[in-house]
Amino acid sequence: MALMFTATANIKKAVSLINQLDAAKFPRLLQRILQKLHLRDDRSFSEEEEEMLQQALGLQGGDLQLVLETTAFVLEQAAYHSAKPAVLEEQLKNIQLEEDKISVFVKAWSANGKEVILKLRKRTLAPDQLESVNWRLNLQMAQASQTKMKLPNAMFELGVRHDDDTREKVRMEFTHDELYNFYSQLETIQEQLDTLGS
Amino acid sequence: MSIIQVQSSKAGGSSALADRTPFYGTRLPSELKAMVKELKKLDKKTFRSLLTVAVSALEGADVDTKSFTDLQTNGMTEDLINIIYSGLLSTLRLALRLPQTSLKPELFKEDLKELNIPEEFIVDLASAVFGGKRTNLDASALDSRSRLPTLQNFRWRVDVGISTSALNRVLEPTILMEMTLSDGRIQTFEVPVSKFHELRYNVAHVLREMESLEKRNVLKIQD
Repeated sequence: MALMFTATANIKKAVSLINQLDAAKFPRLLQRILQKLHLRDDRSFSEEEEEMLQQALGLQGGDLQLVLETTAFVLEQAAYHSAKPAVLEEQLKNIQLEEDKISVFVKAWSANGKEVILKLRKRTLAPDQLESVNWRLNLQMAQASQTKMKLPNAMFELGVRHDDDTREKVRMEFTHDELYNFYSQLETIQEQLDTLGS
Repeated sequence: MSIIQVQSSKAGGSSALADRTPFYGTRLPSELKAMVKELKKLDKKTFRSLLTVAVSALEGADVDTKSFTDLQTNGMTEDLINIIYSGLLSTLRLALRLPQTSLKPELFKEDLKELNIPEEFIVDLASAVFGGKRTNLDASALDSRSRLPTLQNFRWRVDVGISTSALNRVLEPTILMEMTLSDGRIQTFEVPVSKFHELRYNVAHVLREMESLEKRNVLKIQD
């Protein structure tokens, strides 16, 4: 397959920095980056955490950034190509990464790779997402203009989450017929999903 | 004083009235009382036209002031028309509130007789309440009830993502829904497949509950 990483100057520098790192500290770093990979935030670590990392790893500000970015990039590429651990190992050997670091990468990827890919699959661009479905079934007995009715109706409350994490509730009401119409349309959607094989 | 006598003095009638409340409730509304006083001055034609106007108003049609001004002829002042019309509307509304299984035509006519309304007017009123227009009147009462917004238009689409900036091969279906509610709001949102299954399950569940409720309560709740 195509090379995941071309040996640019930045990559070479990052590789030499990573190779110098203490192998004991590396796995935890990788784990943390893996966990946050599917989120859209650019920063895996907060400011204080980055300061602590600088101390722990003995790297200056710019170098630390490079190491973090490159590690994240390696993992992103592995996810993009859905690479198997063996393939990842090959590609990392190509950019001259050291054996012990390679094995750390491969181990972390074998353990968590599938999960990361799954999470990335579910990532979408749409602004609002349906979050919750609540309902209530009523029997209307009377109103101002009519007594002794027996009218069942259902109220639905759909919780929609916006991009900026604000939530909105969409409330609507259905009579028996209206609900049946809605259900027929949902059934049509289900048929479509079935033909896709999901 | 016995109970029967007290009730009779209110409705001004016989002991037949002692066992049930008239269709207008326990107290005679003031507009009905006012109307009854003036009814003797009315001729049949004017009464019929006012009744027609009242019925079409309850069906939901807009009432033109012309239909009132036309009737202001000899002896029919505007005040008189207003009193009669409001009395008619009240009578019709109160009668239409009760379902046909509760208020039978005979009882309705009996109540009106107790109020000393002329016989021919009673016939007209009864045919308005129980005649051919009844289904229309019931339907418009049902339509005008207060409701939460209903789903007016529902559009959807199913997409399959092939590739994203994060993954070369995604092949994950997503559902996009656009709901237009009756209050004008348009809500567009995406539904993850798991949430869709939850939505579908809930809707089916509520539908089933509704059906069993309708079957059950027909037997249980008697009028």
